[in-house]
Amino acid sequence: MFFKQYGFGYILLTPVVLYIVFFQFYPLFETVRLSLYDYSLVSGRGMSFVGFKNYAELIVHDDNFWPIFLNSVVWVLGATLLQFLIALPAAMILNARIPLRGMWRGLMMVPWVSPVVIIGIIWKWIYDGQFGLANYYLKMLGLIKENIVWLGDANWVWPALLLTSAWKGFPYVALMALSGLQGIPRELLEAATVDGATGWQRFRHVVLPLLRPILFVTGLVSIVSTWTKFEMIWVLTGGGPGYETSILPTYLYTQAFRFFNLGLGSAVGTLSMLFVVGIVVVYARMFKSDSPY
Amino acid sequence: MRDTAVQIACRYVSLALLMVFILFPFLWMLVTTFKVDEEIFAPVPSWLISDFTLEHYVWAISEHGINLGKLLGNTFAVCLTTAVLTGLFACVSGYGLSRYKVPGMGFVVLLLVLAQMIQGPLIMIPWYKFASALSLLNTKTVLVMIYGTMTIPVGVWIMSGFFNTIPRDLEEAAYVDGATRWRALFSVVIPLALPGLVAISLYAFILGWNDYQYALILTNSLAAKTVQVGIAEVMESMGKTSWGGILASGVLTIMPVVVLFAVIQRLLIEGLTAGSVKG
Repeated sequence: MFFKQYGFGYILLTPVVLYIVFFQFYPLFETVRLSLYDYSLVSGRGMSFVGFKNYAELIVHDDNFWPIFLNSVVWVLGATLLQFLIALPAAMILNARIPLRGMWRGLMMVPWVSPVVIIGIIWKWIYDGQFGLANYYLKMLGLIKENIVWLGDANWVWPALLLTSAWKGFPYVALMALSGLQGIPRELLEAATVDGATGWQRFRHVVLPLLRPILFVTGLVSIVSTWTKFEMIWVLTGGGPGYETSILPTYLYTQAFRFFNLGLGSAVGTLSMLFVVGIVVVYARMFKSDSPY
Repeated sequence: MRDTAVQIACRYVSLALLMVFILFPFLWMLVTTFKVDEEIFAPVPSWLISDFTLEHYVWAISEHGINLGKLLGNTFAVCLTTAVLTGLFACVSGYGLSRYKVPGMGFVVLLLVLAQMIQGPLIMIPWYKFASALSLLNTKTVLVMIYGTMTIPVGVWIMSGFFNTIPRDLEEAAYVDGATRWRALFSVVIPLALPGLVAISLYAFILGWNDYQYALILTNSLAAKTVQVGIAEVMESMGKTSWGGILASGVLTIMPVVVLFAVIQRLLIEGLTAGSVKG
């Protein structure tokens, strides 16, 4: 009886469950398992179990590790914040009474659907120290006197990276915010205006609280996906100069695929995963607790 | 409540600024690809082209340039297969998720949500190891397999959302007429869900097309190398001098994505935002 009722359902769900378990969860466990081994493809030592030696190596002995961890934090917080700062006004603009809203919304999404490699190349060209548009326009506006090598200058590389990342990522946040805005009944806003609320007050006390749930989820998704994003930084700076702009994912790549130390790379991966879980917990605590919903 | 002229003006100015912000990098790329090198490397950059040329596109496609043709061919084959595979999974498991509230479904939902986060660096090393052990390195097959991890969870998720919008009466009617459950799914429900299915499949195509990290670690020769890896490599080796050609290959690579996205955008956006607005 049970089987008749549910059997077919289980059959339908099995393919995706199997795929996820074998092709994603099993590799995840394998990453953790490999981190406990001394496993280098070039050392000639073969593979041997060493417990937490790789972790000790990273946490205690590696001068690059903690700065790279800090980079990851700055990268994630900065990118997410900047994305939200651009996305919320963008959503409000697209929510206004303008013709062809669907088309503008579609155009807005183009950076988000474009390949990272190409976006990286375009922005590298814009940020070019000698021939780039950025320097040209900033000098024209009188904001800078001399050319800045945006992706090579220790002071300017992070703002440059964050801008490109926000430019690419904000459409997704704006899309979610827009769909949230479209769910707010006009009567609420009109009632607030009748009660004498200014635009800013309407935003703070009517719009923002109602957007809170969707912004919370979108922020979470943004944080987790930015934490594990390897491609953008790799294409723009390769983690350099040196390890200046390295983040945990690029460090994993360097260890595993440049130095061929798969054990150490796996340890970086596992630590990265633990950190992001921690960050998610902190984020959830901070923002869920004072919601009235 | 009628809007004042100032409000209306603000609205359009903001929209214009937003569009400029979004589109200028693409336009700059496009303009640069039609300039000759002297103009590209001019001390004062300009949006106007005095000497129009297609030489960079020729270079991009030719074999001693970037050999884009071969790369695009590889990428297309991989992405098409990924799209079809994703479509199949999305149909079958998405339908199951939508119609069959089985015990343990919460677990399945949890798996789907977590799967969307288990990406990239977290699984790179074991995948490299497996591919190497099974002699699948540098094959299109292994790329399709790993791309599935990007596309199938989200595909199933969104597809189940689309199925939710189709009333069950039609399947019920089919059952009354004696159809089996598979028959009902394929002859009745899927034709109705076809737009959504196409949107998901093409989205999977785009995701595969855009991938860089997986192709980077799993391929190393023209047997399976994809267009993103090929372009990135040329960028690293010839970066400083071949901007025209590299940006031209960028234009050629972005175009399919933009076209596909334009086709599916309404449905895809619907699918992406469906779960977000809790009723």
